[in-house]
Amino acid sequence: MIARRPRHFFAMKFASLIIVTVSASLAMPQPPGVDPAVLAAEQSRIDVVQKVLPAVCAVCKYGGGAAGSGVIIDPEGYALTNVHVVSGTGPVLSCGLSDNQLYDAVLVGLDRVGDVALIKLLPKEKGKPFPFVKLGDSDTVKPGDWSLAMGNPFGVAQDFTPTVTYGLVSGTNRYQPPAPGGFLEYTDCIQVDTSINPGNSGGPLFNMKGELVGINGRISLEKRGRVNVGVGYAISINQIKNFLGHLYAGLDTDHATLGAIVGAEDEDKQLNKLVVKEVRTNSDADRRQLQEGDHLMRFGTTNRFMSTTNQYKNILGIYPKGWRVPLSFKREGEPEKEILVRLESLQPPPLRSSVDEPEPKDRRPLLPGSTPGSQAAELYKPKKGYANWHFNEIEQNRVLDGLKKHGDYAAVPGQWTADGTFAIGERNGAMHFEISDNKGADGSPLVVLKTNTEQSLQPLKDSDPAKRSMPLGSGGLMMALYHWHHFLTQGPKGFEKEFVHAGSEPLYPRPTDGSVPKSLASLLVETDVIHTQHGAVEGKWYFSKKDHLLLAFEITLAKDTDPCEVYLGDYKMVDGRMMPHRFEVRNGDALYGVLNVTKYNLAK
Amino acid sequence: MIPMRIAILTILAFIVPATATAADSYEQVCRDVNSKMVKIFGAGGFVRLNNFGSGIIISPEGHILTVASPLLDTPELAVHLYDGRRFKAVVLAVEPELDAAIIKIVPEGKQPLDPTGLDLEYFDIAASAAKPPAGPGDWILGFSNQFEIALREEPVSVQRGVVSAYTTLDGRKGGFDFPYNGKVYVIDAVTNNPGAAGGALTDRQGNLLGIIGREIRNKQTDTWLNYAIPTHAVADVIVKETVNGKEESKTVTLKLPEFVVKGMKADYRAVKRDPSPLRAKVYTGITFVPNVLTRTPAFVEAVAPGSPAADAGLKPDDLISFVDGEPVTSITLFIDYLERRTKPGTTIRLEVRRKGLTQLMSVQLTVKEPPAPSKP
Repeated sequence: MIARRPRHFFAMKFASLIIVTVSASLAMPQPPGVDPAVLAAEQSRIDVVQKVLPAVCAVCKYGGGAAGSGVIIDPEGYALTNVHVVSGTGPVLSCGLSDNQLYDAVLVGLDRVGDVALIKLLPKEKGKPFPFVKLGDSDTVKPGDWSLAMGNPFGVAQDFTPTVTYGLVSGTNRYQPPAPGGFLEYTDCIQVDTSINPGNSGGPLFNMKGELVGINGRISLEKRGRVNVGVGYAISINQIKNFLGHLYAGLDTDHATLGAIVGAEDEDKQLNKLVVKEVRTNSDADRRQLQEGDHLMRFGTTNRFMSTTNQYKNILGIYPKGWRVPLSFKREGEPEKEILVRLESLQPPPLRSSVDEPEPKDRRPLLPGSTPGSQAAELYKPKKGYANWHFNEIEQNRVLDGLKKHGDYAAVPGQWTADGTFAIGERNGAMHFEISDNKGADGSPLVVLKTNTEQSLQPLKDSDPAKRSMPLGSGGLMMALYHWHHFLTQGPKGFEKEFVHAGSEPLYPRPTDGSVPKSLASLLVETDVIHTQHGAVEGKWYFSKKDHLLLAFEITLAKDTDPCEVYLGDYKMVDGRMMPHRFEVRNGDALYGVLNVTKYNLAK
Repeated sequence: MIPMRIAILTILAFIVPATATAADSYEQVCRDVNSKMVKIFGAGGFVRLNNFGSGIIISPEGHILTVASPLLDTPELAVHLYDGRRFKAVVLAVEPELDAAIIKIVPEGKQPLDPTGLDLEYFDIAASAAKPPAGPGDWILGFSNQFEIALREEPVSVQRGVVSAYTTLDGRKGGFDFPYNGKVYVIDAVTNNPGAAGGALTDRQGNLLGIIGREIRNKQTDTWLNYAIPTHAVADVIVKETVNGKEESKTVTLKLPEFVVKGMKADYRAVKRDPSPLRAKVYTGITFVPNVLTRTPAFVEAVAPGSPAADAGLKPDDLISFVDGEPVTSITLFIDYLERRTKPGTTIRLEVRRKGLTQLMSVQLTVKEPPAPSKP
């Protein structure tokens, strides 16, 4: 199963290199008695190595000086490596490829707890694509599978030609706790006997199809010195995929906690059982009514079963903070229940290299160094809380440009009115809403919503929390409608407090026919998220990764309260603009109601 | 369940050879072997002495073969099976000359010698020993819970390598202390990591070849050796037997499978002997002058900085004349005393002659600290 090599993978040099390799193997006398299967296996291994080799990079300090390894994952030159590699190079760095050339590169995103960094190489000629590798599915990797590790161990290759090592996957779903006093934990990682040595850090681990399944980052050591002892660890690519949207957006990401303490019911019992030991008051887990003593069964976006704390930490450790993930549990005398929990932030640790990194003196802060002449320096915009703000702006624009393709909403900043029907609980009937930026007192915004009764809100004037969260049970639908109009017509300039690309998150739109899904995980849609704040109100905007249609948004009125979630559907053209004709409103664990629009009027 | 398993195995037996290539995954082999492996948790937990190890299941009842190690010196011995079940275990037999021990699972509420009621997958030691041993160049797989990476149902680690030699080790000549005198498999992969001892060495099909040994280091070259004790292991051992109502000690040649059969019946009693192989090595920090004579006086050549001896004030050229009131006539005698009578944590009293004067000092023995872990 050798995939065809994409032509652009190979500069002329490689093409000639392959010809040399192939002709050499043809010219060599075949040893007698060698099983053809062995020769075939050898050839397919060589083919795989040749396929991926051009995308493997030697990560260097700016201008040279080996620091670690990396691998390019898209034609634009974005490459993965370890945080503990880039913390040695600073945000403006160089990368050597196997064409023996050194490329300028810049830091893009950081996942410090997971030890993953995204960097971007700059092409020598504008727009020239880079060779890159395909991301695999690390959940298919099994102990006993063969693997290839590539990189630049000990900085051995002065011409940046990667070193290849070949070995077995020794274990999967391994949990490696942080070193004493450290924070850097390896969750759900892949253990290999493939030789990984100092300098291999950040380099790729491939399966035998040449798909990227992990980033090599750590080795077990004890008394034999800082060399390979047959136990290396790679961060699984599936974990990295969860953070990839964040990394592309220049974020300094964070991992998460459940908002509850979970542990083994009794370590000494014959069978292990995972139970909730304590729930933090007012955490989302608490609001979802998780209780002390609940027996946890399944967790995560792939519904993984768990019975040990290692398995729990493995699952928890692969998600960024803020993600909503399904959690199933059993309670005495009740059937298994599935909830959607918002993961909470881990307090971000101060930026520093892991304590078990042996040469801390060589570590520099991630600040622009003296990098005269590097184009990469122009792509680095430091901002507190971000790895590189420049890339957040790029990602914001990508989403907003995608949104613009669905219509020019800024051209209709006036009052929006809609007529249709509503279904809220047992009640239903005619519905009407009006949203404007200036029809309230003193020309302030006004939202009017008529279902059974008519209610109105002046989003910037009314300060009574009860009024702001009207209609009752919606979590603030009128406020949400105001923010929706504001987002579409004003864009970033309408959000004076915050407008950032917040990476990728899963969204779980319920079936529109009201049927019960077989699991929440089965509903998962990947989205690009924009995070906003306007006044005291925070918003999260979920855009389809496919076509940047706004799939849903949620508005949070106050800290530690459930947001008003609005799922948008039934998009149709209205005067050249895609408009949702179905609004499903949820709050907490419950459906508030559905508004169906039959007619819009969007004023200029 | 069992007929199903047989059916699957039969199908596999026909399919695998037809499609096997040199680069096939060992996933199935790993799964099969893993179901016969246990993680052992016992005594230890201080520096250089792990409280975790590996073992292989050798009977459906839950008998386990592992190495004779200080790990087993506890009434709180526990094992984790491949399916996550945790059981208590007891030691049935230990034979340092074979570096082997038999332990048995004791389910809750059962006595050590009661039938366990378990029906586990297992390695047949006798069948393995009946086959010819592997030779240099043969591929091997190593399975163990090195570094305590796995707990409960997490599978043990697998590594692959090649048999470098099938040979005896010159362990007794001082290069490294080695309890077993017979042939071993020397492996080219780093299989012998902390906690790996007692793991399985198999061929590429998962057939048992031997038991992964302990970590040993050649003191002269500071190199570590990776080896496994083959199922063909043979040793001359002293056993106690009751003959005509009288207890007698005698030396017999014992094969590993024989030890296993006797040990599983709890019918094996090793004669007490020098316990040093079962003990953690104590550390003083003293380097003596070269021990060239039969009775080289215990002159100190060097003292490692920060070591217990350095803390006590010992200096180069000191002559150790008494330890705990016993005369020290040679380096050998002093080392022998440490091995037999002390353990990490023991404080010894030394009488030392320095420039014609006698000094008294106390040395608290430790185990040497390993370097801190790190990343590549």
